[in-house]
Amino acid sequence: MKELVEYVAKELVDDPSQVHVRVVRNSRALVVLELRVAPDDMGRIIGRNGRVANAIRSLLQVMGERRGKRVTLDIV
Amino acid sequence: MSVTDNPLPSPIEISAPTVEDAIQAGLENLGLSRTEVIIEVVSEERPSMYGMESQDAVVRLTPIAMPRNAAGASVILENRGTENEGEVSIAQEVLQELLKRMKIDATVYARRSDLIATDEDNGEIPWILDVQGVGLDELIGRNGETLADLQLITRLIVSRQLERRSNVVIDVEGYKTKREDSLRRLAKHMAAQARQTGRKTTLEPMPPNERRIIHITLRDDDTVSTESVGSGKNRKVQIIPRRD
Repeated sequence: MKELVEYVAKELVDDPSQVHVRVVRNSRALVVLELRVAPDDMGRIIGRNGRVANAIRSLLQVMGERRGKRVTLDIV
Repeated sequence: MSVTDNPLPSPIEISAPTVEDAIQAGLENLGLSRTEVIIEVVSEERPSMYGMESQDAVVRLTPIAMPRNAAGASVILENRGTENEGEVSIAQEVLQELLKRMKIDATVYARRSDLIATDEDNGEIPWILDVQGVGLDELIGRNGETLADLQLITRLIVSRQLERRSNVVIDVEGYKTKREDSLRRLAKHMAAQARQTGRKTTLEPMPPNERRIIHITLRDDDTVSTESVGSGKNRKVQIIPRRD
């Protein structure tokens, strides 16, 4: 899941060197990921009305469903 | 990105008992890998049925890279052919990369769209990238919502790489094609009903791309007119009989 977020984030930001993805929690039922990007790139990752962030979350959810886990992505 | 003056191999068409066999044979023939060609399914295989003979699958492979040289390196050429072809090969790579990272085992086929519900009307037939595999229902999601998200992310990445907006269409297991077929049938059925009763008929709320299919389907029907009413998620198409 981390690999997916990393790929998408690095492709969408202006400064890929500032993209950091961390698995904050990985339990049986829940995965929590944390994505950090440069402040100037926040808008690109979140998108208007959060559309881009939610689309990334939706793809993560597909991965989660296959493993019976809920996935949350925090963008900080 | 290297640019050479060597012409790329010409597109080839291969037939075999299954689509997958035809692709494999074609790739071997060209000395290229899957990511180095645009794969179009010209026709799928058909088993023999009702006394009709079975038919082989036919695929068309358009090389976007030079066959490997002795060093084992392949050169993918940019801006080859029409702009659209550059777009579809980039989109195919991006989508394959996304699927790989989602650990979804699937193949991406490119073909010319026969959908009418594309975003642009510039006369050019858009490409459609169809993801095929086993158990991909989650990738479609409820009412195609996850598919819409996959298309959004793919388009954003492709747009950044192309440095212009991409409207490439992504489909999963032919979902959009099937959905469009049933919407077209629905449109014609409801138009007939409106015509017969002389009353306007209101359809269920639909997303913009689906409403558009209804409008376009009935565009040339001079017995009815259509309009969208309501707002947001509640916006729906009305079919209004014309009185002469």
